[in-house]
Amino acid sequence: MSSQLPIFLFLVPFVTAVAMPILCAKRRSWCQRLTTGAVSVMVVLSVINLRVVLSEGSIEYAFGGWTAPVGIAWLVDPLAAIVILTMSVVALLSLIYGRLVVTSKLDKSVQYYTLILLFIAALVGVVFAADLFNVFVFLEMAALAGYALVSAGGGKALVYAFRYLLLGSFGATLYLLGVSYLYAATGTLNMADLGTRLPELMTSTAVVSGLVFVFLGLSIKMALVPLHGWLPGAYANAPEAVAPLLASTITKVALVAWVRIEYSLIAPGVEVSHVPVLVLLEYIGVLAAVIGAALALVQTEIKRMFAYGGISHIGLILVGVSLGNSTALAGGLFYLVNDAVMQAALFMIAGAVLHYHGARTLDDLKGVANRSPWLTGALVVVAISMVGLPPTGGFFGKWNIVLGALEAQHYLAVFAVLASTLLTLGYFLRLFACWFHQPVTIESERLEVAACLRVSLGAASVATIVLGLLSDSVVRVLLESLAS
Amino acid sequence: MAELLQALLQRPNFVVFVILFLWGIYIMAAHPNYVKKLIGLYIVQTSVIFFLVAFSAKDGATVPIVSAEMASLEAWAYANPLPHALTVTAIVVQIATLGVSLALVSAIYRKYGSLDEDEVLKKVE
Repeated sequence: MSSQLPIFLFLVPFVTAVAMPILCAKRRSWCQRLTTGAVSVMVVLSVINLRVVLSEGSIEYAFGGWTAPVGIAWLVDPLAAIVILTMSVVALLSLIYGRLVVTSKLDKSVQYYTLILLFIAALVGVVFAADLFNVFVFLEMAALAGYALVSAGGGKALVYAFRYLLLGSFGATLYLLGVSYLYAATGTLNMADLGTRLPELMTSTAVVSGLVFVFLGLSIKMALVPLHGWLPGAYANAPEAVAPLLASTITKVALVAWVRIEYSLIAPGVEVSHVPVLVLLEYIGVLAAVIGAALALVQTEIKRMFAYGGISHIGLILVGVSLGNSTALAGGLFYLVNDAVMQAALFMIAGAVLHYHGARTLDDLKGVANRSPWLTGALVVVAISMVGLPPTGGFFGKWNIVLGALEAQHYLAVFAVLASTLLTLGYFLRLFACWFHQPVTIESERLEVAACLRVSLGAASVATIVLGLLSDSVVRVLLESLAS
Repeated sequence: MAELLQALLQRPNFVVFVILFLWGIYIMAAHPNYVKKLIGLYIVQTSVIFFLVAFSAKDGATVPIVSAEMASLEAWAYANPLPHALTVTAIVVQIATLGVSLALVSAIYRKYGSLDEDEVLKKVE
């Protein structure tokens, strides 16, 4: 039974999504409950899945009994199990939070909840898929649901969703082109199988350009600087209720897909015409980490600031996974899990501030601290984690990346982590300067925060601290799974 | 130069693919009209599908059905079914993308009364 867990994790949201229009056509109020129920089941399943994977080792799920490389396979290793657990918890929290800010029109819409479930199902597919083409299909499924969810914001969101669609589909096409190059050169799509065939083919231009196209396509999807153009507009204008879900998942799963490809196809120290591949990736990550954080510093809109913060973290994680040693790799992956939680919490705060105080820009924030102690508390916790101070998860992720960089003696990477940390501190100081600003007319009435916001935001901020406390064991699990 | 030309002429399919691909990118980037941008995207996607079909083409190959009675299997005599399966799936993805994008374009037109990117962006800001 436990060997069927991965497919159940996919089927629960998928079947619910397909059945939703039939079940809820007459009773629109059920949509929300049904979606929350399905995602709760997913959380339980992913906890069980993680336990099974940790105790019995990775699950290789072969569809229809055809084993790889002939059949289609899913690989559920500890990394995938941890990422799926994070994603489903974040999705559940976003749904609970969504009850506060969802517009009544969307709340009554069957399509909206169907799209959310399809999106979540596709994420499961991307994380589990063990062959390149499956990653493409599931990424596109997630992206299509994502475009539609962004455009549900109406108005400006339509234009940004269209821009996202053009760039996202172009990225997917580049990825497909890269996959077909790799297939033409090797005759296989399975990552493990490719990993055994590629090392001797690294001189072939088809293989190298295939890898370049795959990376370019995925870096549009993960919003790696300078291909991040679609992200801030899309996230800033997406409906409040799904912004945390989108911000915390879609770029991260594209990055997870790239990590799998990089880890199984590119051996450390591989050089293509005297250019060390991993070092090149590391430099791209350094640029993204610093530029993203610097762009966040100059934003005036709260959501755009957080979006650029996420873009800089993508760069940091790429630095971590490209340093070529397991400490940094585990640190980068641990930071990825953290980043998902932090981005969700940040966008929840931004949405709540807009909902209660009508604050969109930093200037509108003045005096919020006096009136919303609950939001202030959550923001401080998440800010500590974003900047990277112990005992939060953000610190341990960065710490391991720095340790790995020192081990590899790549001081530029150390510089990137420190520079982006300082810039992050800079933009949070800007935010706090407005947040704690004392207005001339003091309205001291405390704001009563809705219960669903308390639960979701409280859980998200507690999760960043819990991740910090558990960091040792999570990193050890990641290290062990990488070693085997 | 002559060698390059020779290499290109020996691969007409590849040349067609490259031309289509770059042409599509040019249309996507250069035209301000949303529908033309979509057409550009469609050409790019189609060029990749063309590439997939082109490299998997095989002269004189037959349908890849293997029965239990066959003693030996000669791979060269059969068409490789996998690229074709990929092609069909990629086409499905392409159609879904096209559907979503046309819905978005029509929503933008209803909201802003224009399909021209410059005009719409002016109204958005």
